[in-house]
Amino acid sequence: MPAYHRPDDLSEACTLLAAGPLSILAGGTDVYAGTTAQQLNRDILDVTGIAALRGIARDEAGWRIGGAVTWSELIAAGLPPAFDALKRAAREVGSEQIQNAGTIAGNLCNASPAADGVPALMVLDAEVALASAAGRRRLPLGAFLTGPRQTALAPGELVEAVHVPAASAAGASDFLKLGARRYLVISIAMVAVRLAVEEGRVAAAAIAVGACSPVARRFAALEAALVGEPATPALALRVTEAGVAPLLAPIDDVRGSAAYRAGAAAELIRRALARLTEGAR
Amino acid sequence: MSFDTPRAELSVNGARHAVEAPPSRRLSHVLREDCGLTGTKSGCDAGDCGACTVLIDGRPHCACLTPAARALGHEVTTVEGLTGPAHERLKQAFLRHGAAQCGICTPGMLVAAAALLARAPRATPAEAEAALSGVLCRCTGYRPIV
Repeated sequence: MPAYHRPDDLSEACTLLAAGPLSILAGGTDVYAGTTAQQLNRDILDVTGIAALRGIARDEAGWRIGGAVTWSELIAAGLPPAFDALKRAAREVGSEQIQNAGTIAGNLCNASPAADGVPALMVLDAEVALASAAGRRRLPLGAFLTGPRQTALAPGELVEAVHVPAASAAGASDFLKLGARRYLVISIAMVAVRLAVEEGRVAAAAIAVGACSPVARRFAALEAALVGEPATPALALRVTEAGVAPLLAPIDDVRGSAAYRAGAAAELIRRALARLTEGAR
Repeated sequence: MSFDTPRAELSVNGARHAVEAPPSRRLSHVLREDCGLTGTKSGCDAGDCGACTVLIDGRPHCACLTPAARALGHEVTTVEGLTGPAHERLKQAFLRHGAAQCGICTPGMLVAAAALLARAPRATPAEAEAALSGVLCRCTGYRPIV
């Protein structure tokens, strides 16, 4: 029978990982959906019992979200409005059943181009904290995700937490997803936008688009164009399909053509900007 | 905690069940085959259909995506465990409104609805739609169920 380890201590987990090849299991929502077997026929490290991977905490440096925090726990957590996009994304992760099991780290390590959590974490400038028997390191989320279903996770490493710098927890954010139907759907396009407004003008803007490129991406050029502008719904006029397409380099697939995705992404960004600036005309 | 033996004791519907199964075995199959609780249905084994929905400490989970080991130390409630007065009213309402046709989704619907009504006894139709969105029905449509 394959081994099944469920340590509660991070260093014990790292020692186990260093000792031999183990498949890491978090919420199980992707692992079990990806097999027709009734049990997993390989040695497993279940990380959901590790104390260091649980809970959401804040210190002067910023926010720390444990890797094994579930989407339901995130939705229930008291977080500033900059995290609204992440909470909205959490509500889009499958059904309530999936949100009760699926974890932040699992969503990142599964590295689906359509991972709901990724654009919302990107607009928070999230960093991924990795732990192994050799030590710890941190990577920006955009560097951790290296391609579809590919990450920078090295053998023997696990995702301990996601960190959001205090400065990036400013402002308010929104998340919009386009799918073929309302519930339980793989996105055609999804957009997270965070705006920090000071004295009626955009002090900081962060825009990320997922499900359109091999890895979700930030739109630095568009963000820079918005900074300093009056924070009114007219901001949305700055976003055009022609402007978005080269930033996005969208894919063509069964869920939507590249041209459709560019148009959809531009419209979702416009709607998010309009919603975030509602009431300021 | 590591599992050196496949023997374990699960707490299901308030009763102890001694099971002998690999720790990573899907909880849905352990419930059906080792505990004899066949009310929990196995549908897609991928977390899409929700027919296997059970409560773990009162919260809905897809049992097909849950390793049996993770139920240790927690209280599992299956459709067979929905025996309280509110649960009886829920089941009578399903009968009255013709909410079951082929019946394979019905246990998942009942369990998901029970979780909703436990936290929001006067849930709105919109809340019911969201709470039941993780269980698929291909017969009656969702209106009689909601």
